[in-house]
Amino acid sequence: MYKLLDQTKLQKFVWRDSDGAQIPFYLDNTDYQQFVRDIKSGAQLNDAEGNPITGSALTTFLETLP
Amino acid sequence: MATYGQLNADNLTSSTGGVISPNITSLRNRIINGAMVIDQRNAGASVTPSGTGKSYLIDRWCYLSSQTSKFAFQQNAGSVTPPNGFINYLGATSQSAYTVGSSDYFLLSQYIEGLNVADLGWGTSNAKSVTFSFWAYSSLTGNFGLTINNNNNYYYPYLYSIPVANTWTYITVTIPGPTSGTWLTTNGQGIAIQFSLGAGSSLVGTSGTWTSTGYLGATGQVNVVGTNGATFYITGVQLEVGTQATSFDYRPYGTELALCQRYYETSYYPGYVVPTNACPNYVHISIGNASQSYVGAAGAGNAQTTGYVYYRVNKRIQAPTVVTYSYSASTTGVASKGWTGADLSASTAIVNNTASFGFSIYNNSGSTATVDGFSIMIHYTSYAEL
Repeated sequence: MYKLLDQTKLQKFVWRDSDGAQIPFYLDNTDYQQFVRDIKSGAQLNDAEGNPITGSALTTFLETLP
Repeated sequence: MATYGQLNADNLTSSTGGVISPNITSLRNRIINGAMVIDQRNAGASVTPSGTGKSYLIDRWCYLSSQTSKFAFQQNAGSVTPPNGFINYLGATSQSAYTVGSSDYFLLSQYIEGLNVADLGWGTSNAKSVTFSFWAYSSLTGNFGLTINNNNNYYYPYLYSIPVANTWTYITVTIPGPTSGTWLTTNGQGIAIQFSLGAGSSLVGTSGTWTSTGYLGATGQVNVVGTNGATFYITGVQLEVGTQATSFDYRPYGTELALCQRYYETSYYPGYVVPTNACPNYVHISIGNASQSYVGAAGAGNAQTTGYVYYRVNKRIQAPTVVTYSYSASTTGVASKGWTGADLSASTAIVNNTASFGFSIYNNSGSTATVDGFSIMIHYTSYAEL
């Protein structure tokens, strides 16, 4: 499970619950690559407040990823 | 008058395996941590990967499988005597008697960065041959499998024999340079070296032949995963240009550690498992005026960057993953007070910026956290593996 961290920063990050990793949105980062694969295959993504991102909101989010 | 002789020989062979080469550190071995000396993550402790994604074990060596929890891995597992000239090995122990399905795979791998094998010319008409050598030890006997590939469209399965159980066997394999396939020469994945601890019938191919089929093992190989308690140990792993194995390129510890740190670095001192509570090798960050809270939702410190950590070695990529830990309880994303070491509240060590040379942290707790000793302290890991 993942949680978005503050998306107003210059660099955007996601928090991985399993180990507390702070993963930047960066294509060469293999953790980021895995994050994208996980989310596309149904892993849960929460916003910074802990609310699940689903449906059209998730689709829109995926479209904005690098 | 001094006289000088001449030694005429094709090569000089070491009694412990391989052709003797000049006693210099040449970095001719493209494998990093081939002697299994560096274990920044686990400090010699056993790990049993519970997922199917890549799990890094000792430095630069990872496990990838289609089934969870089938192997335990440990530096010097089973405490057998390593081959002469070595003090460490990486051990895998099967956790069950698993019947391998046709599409199953169990791989102990090292991914070599493309920049470190660019001179091989693989995928071109000038492709150079390489020789792969290592020591292997198993409770099982027979033919074992490995594959060398680009993890994309070109694979070289190979069978090698361990004829005697629980005895170190020196293996050498000369591999003709592939003139086809897409082989990265960037900071991406260049060559994958994979020891197959099990592979299904659809994933094994003819030994000693380059193919575009994605084989992850060799036809006729022993599946270590199929025997409960079976062991498989390796050390002295070397990949070098040429058609002969030379003696192991044993590099100074500091050099090997630095090579590993291009891909993974931690503040924990060697010998401490990541994370360890109250490990004294912490990062101490001065934050200025002790009378101020260093952070605070209502104060000047709100969302303020509180410190910067410079790596000892620049990382492979521009933006590595970072995990921050508190000093006292090893809580992720949390900083500790610099004088007492008491942990602050959640989200007091959130990464603000990650770069190849370091990272900054800031407070994102939403509330004031007063420090002491003019400072905070954290532990960290940085991950830039392939």
